[in-house]
Amino acid sequence: MTPSTSVPAQWPDRYGDELYRFALSRVSDSDVAEELVQEAFLSALDGLATFRAEASERTWLFVILRRKIIDYYRRQARATHVGLDEISAEGPTEADFFVPKNGHWTSQQAPTSWLNADAALEQQELHDILQRCQKRLPAQQGAVFALRFIEELSAEEICQELGLSSANYWIIVHRAKLQLRRCLEKHGLGKD
Amino acid sequence: MLLEQQADRPASESMPASLWLHLRYCPYCSRYAKQTMLIAEWARASAARQTSTGPALSDAAKARMRERLAAG
Repeated sequence: MTPSTSVPAQWPDRYGDELYRFALSRVSDSDVAEELVQEAFLSALDGLATFRAEASERTWLFVILRRKIIDYYRRQARATHVGLDEISAEGPTEADFFVPKNGHWTSQQAPTSWLNADAALEQQELHDILQRCQKRLPAQQGAVFALRFIEELSAEEICQELGLSSANYWIIVHRAKLQLRRCLEKHGLGKD
Repeated sequence: MLLEQQADRPASESMPASLWLHLRYCPYCSRYAKQTMLIAEWARASAARQTSTGPALSDAAKARMRERLAAG
């Protein structure tokens, strides 16, 4: 499709559903997803003159939306401070999971065996629980987790996007996963 | 944290001996290593699933967006 055949007013009907589902799968909030899709359309309209049709119009809109989603995560993450003290203040820390004097798992937090883990992926319930657990993460941890494991940005890209040091980045990833694991287990994962 | 860093390395890069040894003698850590990989895999699968089966954009939202786009 060439720029001359692009009809922006048709974008919502033509691509709106797909873009909205994509946004909703990332932000889990229907109002925010809607807003991101609208922002993507308006940015595309502004940049229509630069659209060279090297990619399809659909692909181009997805690229713009993905950028909007990354910007959204960045705003979320930057709404909280990023120093180590602030990271500690944001939810549980290693001290909640490990015995400080020897670094071993505490008996309450030691990972249980996830006996039904292989079958769990097929269950809608797992996806619902995982999304709920992700929403409960502190903003910065949620943003880092989503950028790394859903958007699949590299550690370097995430540090750049969120203004994090490498050391803080690894702490945040580690804590996000510790919390997600605990949340999944609280909701029954690993129990027969 | 070493586990997270290891998971981020290319598969071709071997695990540091110290980490390998630690996992061998720490069953909880070994279990956690598998679980941390599963969580990442599930998060990707969950987002992909919602992308293909999630709800559609409402007609009202589409109408609002059409208006904004038409207004330029």
